[in-house]
Amino acid sequence: MASFNLKNICISLSKLRIGHAVTRSHSNGPRYRPPYWFASKERVMTNDYLTQENKQFVEEVMKDKMKVQAELESPLANNGDQSIQQWAPTTRRVGVIARKIGNYPIWSKDGKKMLATLLQVVDNHVVKYIPPEEFKPMKTCKVNWREKRRLGCLLVGSETIDPSTVTKDYCGLFDSVGMLPKKHLCRFMVSPEAVLPTGTPLLATHFRAGDYLDIRAKTIDRGFQGVMKRWGFKGMPASHGVTKTHRRPGNIGAGGEKARVWPGTKMPGHMGNRWRTLRGVKILRINTKHNVLWTLGVAIPGETGAMCYLYDTILPLRKLKSSPPFPTHPPADDLPIEYYDESIHPYDNPTVTYEEA
Amino acid sequence: MALAIRRTSDILCAARWLIRRDCRVLSTLPEKAEISQEVVVRRPAGRRPIANEAVLESRHIYPEFLPDPNPDWRNSLREKLERADMLKRRSQIDIPEFYVGSILAVTISDPHAQTKTTRFVGICIERKGCGLRAEFTLRNVVDHQGVEVRYDLYDPTIQKIQVLRLEKRLDEKLLYLRDALPEYSTFPFDMDPEILPEGTPVPINPVQVKLKPRPWLEKWERQELKGVSNIEEHLKGKDRIRRELRKTPWEKYDLMKQYRKTIPIEDQSEIWAEVHNQLQQLQLSRKKMARKRTFTAPKPQLG
Repeated sequence: MASFNLKNICISLSKLRIGHAVTRSHSNGPRYRPPYWFASKERVMTNDYLTQENKQFVEEVMKDKMKVQAELESPLANNGDQSIQQWAPTTRRVGVIARKIGNYPIWSKDGKKMLATLLQVVDNHVVKYIPPEEFKPMKTCKVNWREKRRLGCLLVGSETIDPSTVTKDYCGLFDSVGMLPKKHLCRFMVSPEAVLPTGTPLLATHFRAGDYLDIRAKTIDRGFQGVMKRWGFKGMPASHGVTKTHRRPGNIGAGGEKARVWPGTKMPGHMGNRWRTLRGVKILRINTKHNVLWTLGVAIPGETGAMCYLYDTILPLRKLKSSPPFPTHPPADDLPIEYYDESIHPYDNPTVTYEEA
Repeated sequence: MALAIRRTSDILCAARWLIRRDCRVLSTLPEKAEISQEVVVRRPAGRRPIANEAVLESRHIYPEFLPDPNPDWRNSLREKLERADMLKRRSQIDIPEFYVGSILAVTISDPHAQTKTTRFVGICIERKGCGLRAEFTLRNVVDHQGVEVRYDLYDPTIQKIQVLRLEKRLDEKLLYLRDALPEYSTFPFDMDPEILPEGTPVPINPVQVKLKPRPWLEKWERQELKGVSNIEEHLKGKDRIRRELRKTPWEKYDLMKQYRKTIPIEDQSEIWAEVHNQLQQLQLSRKKMARKRTFTAPKPQLG
């Protein structure tokens, strides 16, 4: 009985702690809480006073390691048809990490011009799988965890880097599975059927031309911006006797009962550098040689060179209808270099002509 | 195996280090002598290959193959893919050499036209854009009405681009034709193509147009145009004063600005090395076609 009381007291005390209250609004995201598997990456670089020979030796070792890493064979190629799981509309596949490399126009078969964004899938490898029973993320808000617990966590890294440029802890994360550290690390929530073994490379062929994506990336960082740029306010007139107030917000609230600034009032502040997801982006074309995806539109967040995460879309009307490469497309040499969506006019096709009706 | 090699190489390194140390002690030569020798050996290897003049000339013929110089938008892989796509399109349609001031005839597929094709003739007044975004604008006066059509150079609905008269003008852009007298931008739709003899440089047309009185679309007097003859007639005193005030004579000495606006020659030679062969082949096939045409043309006249 006494222990039960003590437990109750402990619980109520833990509720009282200062950092517990979570306030959220549309402009302030949740506080950053790193996941438990995450180790800080950045390292303070020190001068080790290495001799030229030692430096060369370190470089040599690094080269050898990189070579071994590059020559690693995909585990999918070996075990063949042993454990192929069936895809169902409810299963969730892994996504990939891509880099935005620019945009240029592409024409449809009926002669319409559209702008496409190019996304390059750079050196993606599966790092680790955490099954749903072991995966216990820090709770940031009220979510129905019963539903979520059915999904496992798959860590995917992209771009191999020199281990001496990152911390020991971060290296250890990769070392425990026999890989070199990656520059970018992302977790994907996947169904247990869609699990991939460690070291599986993920390629652009993971998706098909004509499918739809959800793309998550950080928006362009614009710094501290005024109200006109940040919220699209109109500002004040440029002339007609207006002085010292051309780009200012004007009134921010009434007096009386509500004589204070209401929470969520649109004001100047930091703009951009936020995670945003663009949903339902169509894949127009895929290059298998350079692992590049052409996606419709220029609204993908981030500047050229920004990293973004690609998922299968969750929009109900654009969801995958037939089975995609599941769990992923195994690396193959005999693939065609380009895949086009059927609406796209390849550049090496003859000129578009219209038939007389 | 790799470890063993590393070890041996390590030992070798150490041995070399020791030997060098000993030599340094023994020798009477200063240390620098050795280094300078090395530098002399390395220099020719490290020097970039000198760009071929003829190859670099193609930057005037195919300006859209050079990427946008803004460093925020540049990416080597994207530029490479873009160039490959441009060459693919060029293998399907003959995009000839032309400049601002040349007279072109463009035939496009048009779903709304009765014959499903439209042909437009006009003078090229502007050419801009990099890569697949390259575009040009044609201007003509049809039934006393100025008409301008903007075309994408790599649009797959373009069936044919024909150069009726290949020439340059005195200015980079001919946007002032919009404010000039209509006869300067009137061209008949049944113009015959003028064929220049092979090997002649592109002629520069020194014609100076007459502007209509004000109002104008732009402040032409501030743009230092060479192809306008009567600009001083329409100016008032205040325009001349303001033109003087707005002049930026220091900009031609701003090397950094120039550098930022252009692609460095090292990058250019890389780009041209990649595409020059294919472009050359396309040009050769075009010349063959042109020769065929010249041989077949006189026959009906004789008969």
